[in-house]
Amino acid sequence: MARSTPTYTPVRNYAFGFILSVFLLFSDISYGTFAPLRGLVQASNLYAQMVSRSIFENVSNLLYSFKQNRNLTQENKDLKEQIHKIRTQEFIKSKEAEKSFEIINFQKTLISSLKSKDINIFKIASIDLRNYLCCSTHKIFLQNLNQVQVLENTPVFAGSSYVGQTKSTYLNFIEVILFSDTKHLLPIKSNFFYCDARGKGKPMLISCKLNKNIDDFQNKISDAIFTSGLGGIFLKDIEIGNISAINSISINEIEVVITLKTNPLEENFFGIIGSEADEI
Amino acid sequence: MKFSNHLIILFTIMLGFALDDFMNPVSIKLFVELNFGFLIFAYWVFALPEKIQSSAALIYGLIIDLLFSNVIGFNMLFFITTSYIIHLYVFRFRIFSYFQLSVFFSGSSTIYTACKYLLLSPYNYSYIVLMVSFLITLVLWVGIYFVMRAFRRSFFSNL
Repeated sequence: MARSTPTYTPVRNYAFGFILSVFLLFSDISYGTFAPLRGLVQASNLYAQMVSRSIFENVSNLLYSFKQNRNLTQENKDLKEQIHKIRTQEFIKSKEAEKSFEIINFQKTLISSLKSKDINIFKIASIDLRNYLCCSTHKIFLQNLNQVQVLENTPVFAGSSYVGQTKSTYLNFIEVILFSDTKHLLPIKSNFFYCDARGKGKPMLISCKLNKNIDDFQNKISDAIFTSGLGGIFLKDIEIGNISAINSISINEIEVVITLKTNPLEENFFGIIGSEADEI
Repeated sequence: MKFSNHLIILFTIMLGFALDDFMNPVSIKLFVELNFGFLIFAYWVFALPEKIQSSAALIYGLIIDLLFSNVIGFNMLFFITTSYIIHLYVFRFRIFSYFQLSVFFSGSSTIYTACKYLLLSPYNYSYIVLMVSFLITLVLWVGIYFVMRAFRRSFFSNL
């Protein structure tokens, strides 16, 4: 009966590996020791993806242009290409116009909501979809090509509401933690209560526990929820979502589930108040 | 074993984890959490126990943690533990039937998933996900076993 390893690896090597792994895991979970390293690796991955994509596009463009040259002898095809080109250009122009219009509209919303003109707009680089759809960690990366100085814990706006806070910057990317992340706490209020809502680890959902009876919450589903401004980070009275469910935990304790107003998956542009803006 | 062989093994494990990343957002809606990466690693240790030892398991785990995980140490811990258990019972596994092997590797994969949820995402811990994943992995393991065996025989004919 084999009770020892068939290889020449002694058990102490496994024990050493086990202890080392447990130590690294504990230090990372408890203190986030390797968070900067992971952020750097993720940012490098994004860079590699962007570079490889542009190389692929250039190569495919090159191959495509060779093909086109070969077909130049056929007048009929030339004409078709011209028509195609004109259509493509018009399509691009219309898309560019739509994009500019979208940015201008978003800027107007930001200025009217946040009462500040020092607002930087960033395009989304990537969303951690794997974790966003299943797990506790909900974060996105924004492209910061102009290397704008962004402070940590600055509110991030998208659509017509806040969606999260900046966490850190890696290379030319800004890491944003979303409200639905279980590590995020957001001070909120409604017409009849104040609380700190924690992310539920599910898309667009946050919740808070209150020492109240469920009978006090009759007909409160779909009531609007606003930021309370008590944390000193977010402006108060910005609508962030609606009550979507009220669950009874015990006799005098309930959980209020709030569905957020903005879906980060549907947004292209995210606004962050500049570091030189007036203090809130 | 040559360094290039280690690279090929690591590449297959990374491919498994990439496949997990690609498929899990869809499969989780059906209460299935796939662990191709972990199963491929387990296959390699099972198939080449004398070639993949503790140091290799530790380094593979570290690289996978850096590239695919939210914490450093999680895959290192599971790779080294799985590697030790497989090394310990490798001769016994040789006389196991495919079904017994499936139960063992599917069970290991389910423990891996359970610990992942308990440590990294306790709010999403779900027994139904574990049970369905166990049953699905039971079937998937046989496929992974034969595909990886064919791959190993074509690439590592001398091992």
